[in-house]
Amino acid sequence: MSLIQVKDLYKIYQMGNTEVRALDGVSVTIEKNEYVSIMGPSGSGKSTLMNLLGCLDTPTSGEFFMDGINVATMGDDELAHIRNKKIGFVFQTFNLLPKSTSLRNVELPLIYNGEIKAADRRDMAIRALTRVNLGDRVSHKPNELSGGQRQRVAVARALVNNPAIILADEPTGNLDSKTGEEIMVLFDELHKQGNTIILVTHEEHIAAHASRVVRLLDGKIAVDEATHRGKK
Amino acid sequence: MKSFFWENLRIALSELWGHKTRSILTGTGIVIGIIAVSLMSTLINGVDGLFEESMKFLGRGNLYVEKWPWFGDEDWWTLRNRPRIELDMAEAIKERSQYAMVVAAERGRSANLSYKELSAENIYIHGVTANYPEVSTVDVEYGRFFTESEDRTGAQVVLLGSEVAKTLFPQGNPVDKMIFAGSKRFRVIGVLAEMGKFMGAFSNDTQVIIPLATFNKIFHGPWGRRSITVKVPEHLVEEAKEELRGVVRVLRGLKPEEKDNFAINQQNAFRQSYQGIKLAIGGTGMIITALSLLVGGIGIANIMFVSVKERTREIGVRKALGATRSQIQGQFLIEAMVITASGGLVGLIISTLISMAISKFLFPATMSFGVAFMAIALSATVGLFAGLAPARKGAKLDPIEALRYE
Ligand SMILES: Nc1ncnc2c1ncn2[C@@H]1O[C@H](COP(=O)(O)OP(=O)(O)O)[C@@H](O)[C@H]1O
Ligand SMILES: [Mg+2]
Repeated sequence: MSLIQVKDLYKIYQMGNTEVRALDGVSVTIEKNEYVSIMGPSGSGKSTLMNLLGCLDTPTSGEFFMDGINVATMGDDELAHIRNKKIGFVFQTFNLLPKSTSLRNVELPLIYNGEIKAADRRDMAIRALTRVNLGDRVSHKPNELSGGQRQRVAVARALVNNPAIILADEPTGNLDSKTGEEIMVLFDELHKQGNTIILVTHEEHIAAHASRVVRLLDGKIAVDEATHRGKK
Repeated sequence: MKSFFWENLRIALSELWGHKTRSILTGTGIVIGIIAVSLMSTLINGVDGLFEESMKFLGRGNLYVEKWPWFGDEDWWTLRNRPRIELDMAEAIKERSQYAMVVAAERGRSANLSYKELSAENIYIHGVTANYPEVSTVDVEYGRFFTESEDRTGAQVVLLGSEVAKTLFPQGNPVDKMIFAGSKRFRVIGVLAEMGKFMGAFSNDTQVIIPLATFNKIFHGPWGRRSITVKVPEHLVEEAKEELRGVVRVLRGLKPEEKDNFAINQQNAFRQSYQGIKLAIGGTGMIITALSLLVGGIGIANIMFVSVKERTREIGVRKALGATRSQIQGQFLIEAMVITASGGLVGLIISTLISMAISKFLFPATMSFGVAFMAIALSATVGLFAGLAPARKGAKLDPIEALRYE
């Protein structure tokens, strides 16, 4: 069974008299432990697709199976549950809670998990921070960290709950190329350890880290092919 | 679910700590409301206790024939011009009234007492008939009360109130000692048991009791209190009062068209006017409480709306990480309730201190557990209602829009 199976996905915004087809019939299948990058010009629907894959949004129509379960028809609370257990998000703007320490930020998904004891939460969060080489920054707040470090905290937060998929929407968009490359090394490692990674980028050298690239144009998939790395 | 409560409590506390001034300002209305309600209930409880304590001095079945009514709105001059009560009516009342079980008479005025070099000033001298113990709560601790014949013959004997005994006889037994009231010598025949104060103000322990006939012999002139106490069966007190009114009218020779020129007082008068006062205190307290809680609650709702708006992105992040609507709603509800409950707690502490001061200087007024519990519950409830709309607004936010919010 495929990890993600999307069929004829539409997301249509009604803006007055005109309708905006952010996604205009997208079908895609992604297997476990794939490393996929999504590319396309601005406004082509990349973020819309990511938000749907991340269960932050619901489609206008279409089917979306995750692990064989139909997500497209789920209610609010069920979606929250999926986001918590199956998905790890990394955002372009980090989206850390500014007043909380790295540790607290990374603990958040575990808190909403509801089944993990406080002491275990702490251990798991420290382990995740150590994995992104921030074991010595647990009690720093976001404004005491560099941009690259912030994004690494965000990566630690995304992987702390052992999600099925890590989704990253332009994770290097706010970083200089050197720190961006460091983050990509991190994703490469996570992929090697068996994680499924989907990331949005508009930079070819970032996309080249993945083994498959999906190119969107006007809400449709224009190209879906293996990258150089994927062909090897 | 339990772990979310602690988590939400933790978020709420750090959020409030992060906005200390704002939290204190918004909590003030609740503080005032809780002070009003808890202090009011404590005061009413205290005054109630005081009142019931005082009412023991006025037996339920006692009717007091006096010149002045205890309460009422009759013209002061009319009352002033009434004839004073002839205490020798007591005999006739006893004879004519069906209901009267005991009829006692009393007079009073103050004077200075002395024993050797010790003196007690402004002591209430109470001249009473020998049957006075039957209509009052006086209790002889040492010695004895005077007899009928001592009263008839005007014997110069005295019973000391407990405070007077302490003042004049700091150590040693006063019984059989001779004291002076002005220039008259009295033999102490007894000491009264401690009685406490009437309405927290008039001490019953700084009086002395002498036979009425002795009083009449020594103190001439019109001043002082005069009263005839008629003891009747408690359950017939209203009928007895009507009968007594008729009896006194006849004794006074009043014509049918003439108004009463005397008053028949009873405990009920106190009760009624006390109930009125209590309602007034209670009503005022309730209005102050309701207003300050309402204003405080509106302020908190307002601040919570601001807080939800300011933290739109935070809500988006939490939702993206898996927070459900009810968890977000719970977070803001608990925050609102923490503000109001802390306000309630502060209010409670302040009113406990105030009631301790009142207890120390005025009358016993202790905050009951029930009042404390009610105050905290009430303030938390205000928080619940004030936080409901803002919390729902936050919970309903769309995660994508919330994450995009600047
Ligand atoms: N909430 C919305 N309301 C209306 N139109 C939207 C909304 N979100 C996205 N769109 C539109 O959908 C299209 C795709 O947007 P998006 O997925 O953000 O593009 P990308 O991430 O590829 O730049 C754009 O034309 C955008 O204007
Ligand atoms: Mg985008």
